[in-house]
Amino acid sequence: HTLMIITMILAMVLYFMASMIINELVDRYMLEGQTIELMWTIAPAVILLFITTPSLRLLYLMDEIHNPIMTIKTIGHQWYWSYEYSDFVNVEFDSYMTPYESDNKSMFRLLETDNHVTLPMHSFIRIIVTAADVLHSWTIPSLGIKADATPGRLNQSSFMINRPGLLYGQCSEICGANHSFMPIVIESVSTESFIEWIK
Amino acid sequence: MASRLLFSSLRQVQKLQKACIHGRSRIGNREVVGFGFNGQYSYQDRIDFPMPAIRFKESTPDIVALREKEKGDWRKLTLEEKKALYRASFCMTFTEMNAPTGEWKSIIGIACVLISIGIWVFILERLFVYKELPTSFSEESKKAQLKRMIDLRVNPIEGISSKFDYEKGEWK
Repeated sequence: HTLMIITMILAMVLYFMASMIINELVDRYMLEGQTIELMWTIAPAVILLFITTPSLRLLYLMDEIHNPIMTIKTIGHQWYWSYEYSDFVNVEFDSYMTPYESDNKSMFRLLETDNHVTLPMHSFIRIIVTAADVLHSWTIPSLGIKADATPGRLNQSSFMINRPGLLYGQCSEICGANHSFMPIVIESVSTESFIEWIK
Repeated sequence: MASRLLFSSLRQVQKLQKACIHGRSRIGNREVVGFGFNGQYSYQDRIDFPMPAIRFKESTPDIVALREKEKGDWRKLTLEEKKALYRASFCMTFTEMNAPTGEWKSIIGIACVLISIGIWVFILERLFVYKELPTSFSEESKKAQLKRMIDLRVNPIEGISSKFDYEKGEWK
């Protein structure tokens, strides 16, 4: 379907280009067409208004918070992430990238960390992201989250994970020499396993 | 009184069909014959404005004589005289104006040269500048990583795990 649209547009543009190259006629009065220029400035503006209105509504709808059951804090450092679970017990740990070992062939290079962020499934989780030194960005593409970690500012995001497993992400804001080497791994487990882990 | 002066000068301007703005001194002895494409005393071969404001060549006594002859019967003019009259007033004929220039050959040629330079830069970089790929790009590593992704059920809805049949243990 996409290919059909691309092909159609490409064919149309090529046809226009070819006909302009072959054309020997000259339009004397092509410049200063005030009416048509007015029309083709106003018409797209109106079209854009029609696009904006639902889009803006959706944007604000997406930002709803659904009464999260727990909050995690993520702090970006150069060049690792540290996590704090302060709701019930005070758990804090750092998460560094594990260097690649050539004998472990199934290891994902540049994506594994020593400590995973363990989270329970089917629960709304609020995450508060900040940084300790320079700008970082906490991203998990499979959850559709990207939150910039700005020093001196707390950014909030919320999500719910629907299936167990490992979810990977990488720092998405340039932060120095090892910016490509500070990944994030979320380990999504059942609620019982999470309670076991956090004790 | 001022308005009467204004209107009389405007009427005179309306009567003038010829070009009447500055630059008369720069055209030499060439006769002004019309408005041209913008009212200025310039000669341009254009297919959309075919009658320039001035003649192409300066008036010489031969041409002036020919023009007198032109006022009579055109059948009395020889072909050479007709051509001379044309070339005195115009630089190029319409065929010459529309003739292909062959510019496309040099454009394509230079474009090909530049593209090939780009390709050479890429090849030399590949050979001398870039380091080896890390071992995780070997076939064995890639297979192991793919197997791990399938075991982890990564992207099970529309991605890679949706293409794997878990009951049979093979690709769909």
